Amino acid sequence: MAEGRVLYRTAGLTKSYGKGASAVHALRGVDLEVHAGEMLVLLGPSGSGKSTLLNILGGLDRASSGEAWFEGLELTALDDDGLTEYRRCSIGFVFQFYNLIASLTARENVQLITDIAEHPMSPEEALALVGLEDRLDHFPAQLSGGEQQRVAIARAIAKRPEVLLCDEPTGALDSKTGIRVLSALDTINREVGTTVFIITHNAVIADMADEVIRFADGAIASHARNGLRRSPTELAW
Amino acid sequence: MVARLAPLTIKLLRDVWRLRGQALAIALVMAAGVGMVVMSYGMMRSLAATRDAYYARYALADAWVPLRRAPDSLGRDLARLPGVAQLESRVSAAAMLDIPGIAEPVTARLHSLPGAINRLVLRSGRMPQAGRGDEVVASEAFVRAARLSLGDRLPALVHGKRIELRLVGTVLSPEYVYAVAPGQIFPDNRRFGILWMAREPLAAMLDMRGGFNEALVRLAPGTPVEEAIRRIDNASAHYGPSGAYGRDLQVSDRFLSSEIEQLATTVRILPPIFLGVAAFLLNILLARLVDTEREVIGLLKAFGYRGGAILRHYGALALLLSVGGVLAGWGLGTWMGHGMAVMYQEYFTFPFLTFVAGPDIYLLSAGLALLAVLAGAAGAVWRAQRLAPAEAMRPPAPARYSARGLGDRLVRLLPDEPSRMILRGFLRRPLRSAASALGLAMALALYVASASSTDNVERMIALAFERGQRADIAVAFAEPRDAGVVRELASLPGVQRVETYRSVAADLSHGPYHTREGLLGLPRGAALMRMVTLDNAVIEPPQEGAIVSSQIARKLGLAVGDVLSVAVTEGERQRFTLPVVQVIDVPLGASVVVERGALARRLREGDVASGAYLMTDPAQAGALYARLKQTPMVAGVSVAAAAVRGIRETVAQNMGIVTLFNTLFAVLIVAGVTYTGARISLSERARDLASMRVLGFRKGEAAFVLLGEQALLALAALGPGLVLGVAMSRYIAASFSSDLFLIPAAVSAATLARGVLVVALAAAATAWLIRRSADRLDLVRALKTRE
Repeated sequence: MAEGRVLYRTAGLTKSYGKGASAVHALRGVDLEVHAGEMLVLLGPSGSGKSTLLNILGGLDRASSGEAWFEGLELTALDDDGLTEYRRCSIGFVFQFYNLIASLTARENVQLITDIAEHPMSPEEALALVGLEDRLDHFPAQLSGGEQQRVAIARAIAKRPEVLLCDEPTGALDSKTGIRVLSALDTINREVGTTVFIITHNAVIADMADEVIRFADGAIASHARNGLRRSPTELAW
Repeated sequence: MVARLAPLTIKLLRDVWRLRGQALAIALVMAAGVGMVVMSYGMMRSLAATRDAYYARYALADAWVPLRRAPDSLGRDLARLPGVAQLESRVSAAAMLDIPGIAEPVTARLHSLPGAINRLVLRSGRMPQAGRGDEVVASEAFVRAARLSLGDRLPALVHGKRIELRLVGTVLSPEYVYAVAPGQIFPDNRRFGILWMAREPLAAMLDMRGGFNEALVRLAPGTPVEEAIRRIDNASAHYGPSGAYGRDLQVSDRFLSSEIEQLATTVRILPPIFLGVAAFLLNILLARLVDTEREVIGLLKAFGYRGGAILRHYGALALLLSVGGVLAGWGLGTWMGHGMAVMYQEYFTFPFLTFVAGPDIYLLSAGLALLAVLAGAAGAVWRAQRLAPAEAMRPPAPARYSARGLGDRLVRLLPDEPSRMILRGFLRRPLRSAASALGLAMALALYVASASSTDNVERMIALAFERGQRADIAVAFAEPRDAGVVRELASLPGVQRVETYRSVAADLSHGPYHTREGLLGLPRGAALMRMVTLDNAVIEPPQEGAIVSSQIARKLGLAVGDVLSVAVTEGERQRFTLPVVQVIDVPLGASVVVERGALARRLREGDVASGAYLMTDPAQAGALYARLKQTPMVAGVSVAAAAVRGIRETVAQNMGIVTLFNTLFAVLIVAGVTYTGARISLSERARDLASMRVLGFRKGEAAFVLLGEQALLALAALGPGLVLGVAMSRYIAASFSSDLFLIPAAVSAATLARGVLVVALAAAATAWLIRRSADRLDLVRALKTRE
């Protein structure tokens, strides 16, 4: 796959909590380039820094030092409101625990986003992309875990974000359901061209990525391109 | 060995610390309830104790016997009647004073100095010396309000004679704890005073040497007052004008007693509101806490803690959360009580008034608070101890929403998702929503009911003065005058119109009931003095028969068509009957009204007047007052504008502070309900709000969901709050009305609007506090915790 334009660029990115001897260094200087349209999988043990990086790239958290750029936008220079606007326009999130609004139906959960986005898909279109066109008016409590996660994905992509950041999207799901969710992400990456980051503990998932980044102790241990990107349906664990 | 707290105790203390914001909100509302109980009951007890001690120490009479003129021998006869322990005669008169600095003539009641009954408390100066005929002592409140100093000379008109009195001392009297001029309901200490002087010179002035015109009676313990009065009346029938009466009809004591009853009304209304709201807040707080701590409870049980330990843990938490409220309430109640005592000592002129509530009242208030805690906490605490460990370890069942039903059809009408979230949240917990709205409604009602007291008084002024007595000046004559008096009055400076009236004192009876009242004769088509009902209708005196106020009708069991028996107790003492043609609610003033000519025929007299109403040119008021002060036929003058001013000042002074406190209490309830509600909502919705923020919603847009819910609750509370407020205002007006006056219930639109504003501002300010917490939400943590 030909390399597209550079979407993210970080230089010397660090994040630490606390001060002095008791300080915890979650990121110890990360230099990274990510190209538009890629499917990336971030692997690494708990506390290795992958979520911290994703949170900074997603505008949920701030770096302690270093730079992070999203195309021409210097994320590390944005204030709270700037980060909100950045998330609002460019980023979709998927979390391990779905985080759907319990008091809104599937369609309404997606509408929540399409109402504030500039060029959104219709909620029905977004839910169709994840195979939930027949569950539009169900409340989260009436959906299975996998269905809920797919609603969360539909909600994340409905505004046509450039980037989809997924933190353990299959962590709470069994393998069969997990693969359906990953297929949805794969579809979106291929058909819509959305850059997708997936954080996971599950090394098998790395096979569906264009690039695999391994984290250890707050730094990138390896960053490699997959020779062959496999379809999620070929995965098993 | 170092003492170590049990882990559950440590958890308990940390929980209280973590919940300190909500604990404070609950404690403040509870403190208001406890404080009101301590203050109201304490004040009732203090007032009653002070009254009893004051009356006992200064020997207040049990009965008053006003007479026209009686020889001293009658006094000796009356003193020998069975049941009469002590009798003292005195000479009393109306006086008009000319006080420098006060334009209007000042009316005064002049008594001969007391001996053993109705003794005076000397506050400054000295008592008049025997043989010094011009020396007087005066009621302290009057001296202060009229800005008099000891040694001042007071030109006075007494019984048609012009004299000069000299002020030598100030006093208090148990007989005038509440000193109001006849026909008034609020004291106007600047224009009405009580004076005492040596008996000899006063009797001389009134041509009453060797006689008296009033007797004061102390009864032997256990003597029924009614019976004693009947015997006294029989014995003094030849000398009466209007017969003897007991403390129950003594104006000062009636006002004091009715004030104590009003405190009882307050204690019936306010503390239940505060304690009810506190119970509700405690209920939702604990219910939420038990929900969030299910796993902890399950774990504790799995480890072998018994249900009882869990019960004690959450029970203790509920108690700890309220103990601050009780202590603060005790402090607040004691402080308010002392403040009220100071106010009451001004309003009622007591020589001493100490606020003492007593341990039983503090215990009672704590007991009531405990009841509220039990009512509020029982459900949640019981649920906590009943949770099965396995069940508790599982997360609670997800919130169930239904896409069916009327509620959700309503939700779908809303255009945007955040609004739908608000409304679904509201509908999912209808009871909690309704109780929150009710709490806010109570706050609004409390404000409206309290603030409308001023509206009610304004309405009373409008009815009594602007519609009813429209004269600028009312003049009472020392003796009845013939028709020529109209010309005489009309010739005074600035007098534009004169209308006279006739009033006589009478014993009114119907069947077994009787009472003593004035009978008022008014001309038809009068412009300056008209009867106006509470609902603003002007009533003309009928050609024949009488119009009776509802208070008198109730007292005598009268209805339209009944016949009222009248025994006039002055002049020729005629007896006649009058058919009752109408019963009306009048705010204050005349109780039985008859057409002027009809009354004259019954009294078998010509065109005789007891007083007159004057319309005057304000530009010449000064000259007119100066002339009236010198006019011997005038026994009393009341200036409408001054009376209205006096009422407004009294109301502003006394109700102002009460309304201020009640406004603060209303704000407290709104803040408590909104703060606790929003905090719980924030805890329940933290994940939703974080999701929204992560998805790119701005802080304000996310906060809309949280605060919109509170706004919706406040909005839902407005209608019921206003209705409740008006109802409460009516109830208070009705319970504060007495047979002396009726308070019209008249809540103004401005009061309602201010109430809405108070609630809205208090809710908005509280919401703003919560919004800052919502803005600081840790997005990542909120999202990564399991539901």
